Amino acid sequence: MEISNFTITKRDGSKDSFSLDKIMNAIVKAFESVDEPADLGTISKIISHLDIKDDIKVEDIQNQVEEALMKEGHFKVAKSFMLYRQAHTEDRETLAKLQFLSDYCESVNAATGSKYDANANVEHKNIATLIGELPKSNFIRLNRRLLTDRIKKMYGKELADEYIDKLTHHFIYKNDETSLANYCASITMYPWLIGGTLSIGGNSTAPTNLKSFAGGFINMVFMVSSMLSGACATPEFLMYMNYFIGKEYGKDYYKRAEEQADLSLKKRTIDKVITDYFEQIVYSLNQPTGARNYQAVFWNVAYYDKYYFQSIFGEFYFPDGSQPDWEGLSWLQKRFMKWFNRERTKTLLTFPVETMALLTDENGEPKDEEWGDFTAEMYAEGHSFFTYMSDNADSLSSCCRLRNEITDNGFSYTLGAGGVSTGSKSVLTINLNRCIQRAVNDGKDYLEELGKVIDLCHKVQMAYNENLKDLQEHGMLPLFDAGYINIGRQYLTIGINGLVEAAEFMGLKITPNDEYKKFVQGILGLIEKYNKQYRTKEVMFNCEMIPAENVGVKHAKWDREDGYFVPRDCYNSYFYVVEDDSLSIIDKFKLHGAPYIEHLTGGSALHMNLEEHLTKQQYAQLLKVAAQEGCNYFTFNIPNTVCNDCGHIDKRYLHECPKCGSKNIDYMTRIIGYLKRISNFSQPRQEEAARRFYATA
Amino acid sequence: MLKYVNTGIVFQEIPDEVTLAINISGCPCRCPGCHSQYLWEDVGVPLTTDAIDEFVAKNGKDITCIAFMGGDAEPRRINRLAQYIHEEYPHLKVGWYSGRMRVAQEVNKDDFDYIKIGPYLQHLGPLNKPTTNQRLYRNTHDDSWEDITSRFWKK
Repeated sequence: MEISNFTITKRDGSKDSFSLDKIMNAIVKAFESVDEPADLGTISKIISHLDIKDDIKVEDIQNQVEEALMKEGHFKVAKSFMLYRQAHTEDRETLAKLQFLSDYCESVNAATGSKYDANANVEHKNIATLIGELPKSNFIRLNRRLLTDRIKKMYGKELADEYIDKLTHHFIYKNDETSLANYCASITMYPWLIGGTLSIGGNSTAPTNLKSFAGGFINMVFMVSSMLSGACATPEFLMYMNYFIGKEYGKDYYKRAEEQADLSLKKRTIDKVITDYFEQIVYSLNQPTGARNYQAVFWNVAYYDKYYFQSIFGEFYFPDGSQPDWEGLSWLQKRFMKWFNRERTKTLLTFPVETMALLTDENGEPKDEEWGDFTAEMYAEGHSFFTYMSDNADSLSSCCRLRNEITDNGFSYTLGAGGVSTGSKSVLTINLNRCIQRAVNDGKDYLEELGKVIDLCHKVQMAYNENLKDLQEHGMLPLFDAGYINIGRQYLTIGINGLVEAAEFMGLKITPNDEYKKFVQGILGLIEKYNKQYRTKEVMFNCEMIPAENVGVKHAKWDREDGYFVPRDCYNSYFYVVEDDSLSIIDKFKLHGAPYIEHLTGGSALHMNLEEHLTKQQYAQLLKVAAQEGCNYFTFNIPNTVCNDCGHIDKRYLHECPKCGSKNIDYMTRIIGYLKRISNFSQPRQEEAARRFYATA
Repeated sequence: MLKYVNTGIVFQEIPDEVTLAINISGCPCRCPGCHSQYLWEDVGVPLTTDAIDEFVAKNGKDITCIAFMGGDAEPRRINRLAQYIHEEYPHLKVGWYSGRMRVAQEVNKDDFDYIKIGPYLQHLGPLNKPTTNQRLYRNTHDDSWEDITSRFWKK
């Protein structure tokens, strides 16, 4: 080879001038390490095989050296050279981990410090959260390997390579790749009611009274959550609690709530006993959890109006043969909401995330007037929760945004409360903005190109499902075996991100207009077509607009770096542009209305950002608007003010503390689904929150 | 000819209603310190019954009230439009934010469900300050008007 003034590219991407001496030294060292003679002639021969080009990477030179050693028959030396490289790779990995460790310690909060999976559900940054962060990169590698091995078996190597290619070029994104567990589930607690936690590896027997219900419930939710990577919804929580309160104080306890219930000096009333249990359960479940990297369990509950309740639990029987009592549950649901709303002015409580399930009549009005009215009342009192409205009891949410259709509400003693067991096994997200821009720039039909990506995602999800089945066959998934989750009612979810940005790239206006609607329907309809095509007896697919807590930021960053059109730093999780102040509240309901969401079977919760609270009558009218427009899943989001100096919490969106006048304040908001302090979100998400437009009602 | 510049869905202006507010230009009041000075000039597009029909076609099912923000240059025209809305769309209420001290004689107040009167006087403050001179009245439809200005003060 000819020696001239080459530049080489080092591992960190920097350039250096090429040095033949360094290569010769490395080769000599390799010979010496196996006690083989290394004269100039031998070395020159090896070097003559090398083909050094300008800007060559260090790894490529080393690969060539390996090959050259083999060609010349120095197999022992080649092996030693490889081992030397491997040792250095491991060193570099440890160094990278050390670097990460010190960066993490320096970062402003846990979500910003997290390299792989920023999550505001971690409030503090400490040794426990650091321990959770460190193995994340290994999990990603492991998960990819598990999946690609399976894809190879099922569909061949080409598809496995295609998956990695689309993943590393950010056309698709695998959610929760840093965890091994399936995603989120709405569980039935029936197996626990019958047999305690023994079947999922715990040691407690079935609850027998209010006290063992409350304590056991907390433990059960902790255990279940440690086997899920996302949320755990317990839609039967208050119904069971009502049952146990009834056993303790009589079924009509709520009519006598002010009666003294205990003989202690405190002379607690029945109402006080009940709210003390609320306190125990809610505060316990909001604790950071060891088994989940110091994340609190992601706990969700549901409230029902009379008709929704009847539709889901009409056939439910408790082990003693009795049926749930609606009057008692109705009272208890209201009591819990009122208590929780008040408690939130004392402490920043994120969980449970609540969903109100309302059935509507043919005029779009809540069928159960009392509960429609109560929903508006709670919003007007500043309580923040989701509402799901439908003309039939077809869905439950398993986390703060994902709704899952329930196919069969039938109760059975073996499976427990029929329809409440649902959820999502795994989410694989398509970066629509990149996929569509790439197709258009290549002069191709974007729907056709997108179809290929969607098809790939379905195959990958099928492979994931096989891996999950494998884990189950080996007894690794007791939640399924014990009946808390019914695997046949769990969805494989296709997530979407960058929809609005792709539409903007196509030159569309993001308002309720026919072209935008057609664009949305074209894409979501295509995904649904594949969802149906891949559906079998044992797998179901749905499609969700993911909240993209950290993916929205990553996609924007990666796409910008690769030269795509990126109109904002964080991709929207809605059908409208969050910072757009020209859209009215009604426009936003329309943009999350039936024509837009009809193919979005996994749901998308409209977060109606408002600056001020409305009156009960106005909320009642907006519930009607939502029903009329067919927006079935939404919440109203008015940032709550938290004073950093005196700790006062106010339900209003204020610029100074009304108590001490301090301007050192923070806000609680739902940036994505759950209510958290803005300062807990990662830096880029906080910036998005600042740009967000809160309608001056 | 009355002209309007834009519309908006608002919640604070008329308590308990979901209101489509029509911002009318050519305002003759010109209060010092006015926060909507863009409405002083003769700009925008004609506010006709066709324009009203268009608003209702777009948002009529979702709102409960239409409010005229301004229009003091032609009070009779506002009155006619209020009548029109009540006749064509009986489910909608009608509000009027006037900057005058009192409602013009030629206006039939019963064609409105809400009327705000009073110019903006900087030292007395806007509606949400208890010191304000402005008043919002609700038509009780039994020959009396209820002063509901205090609804703006409760926080």
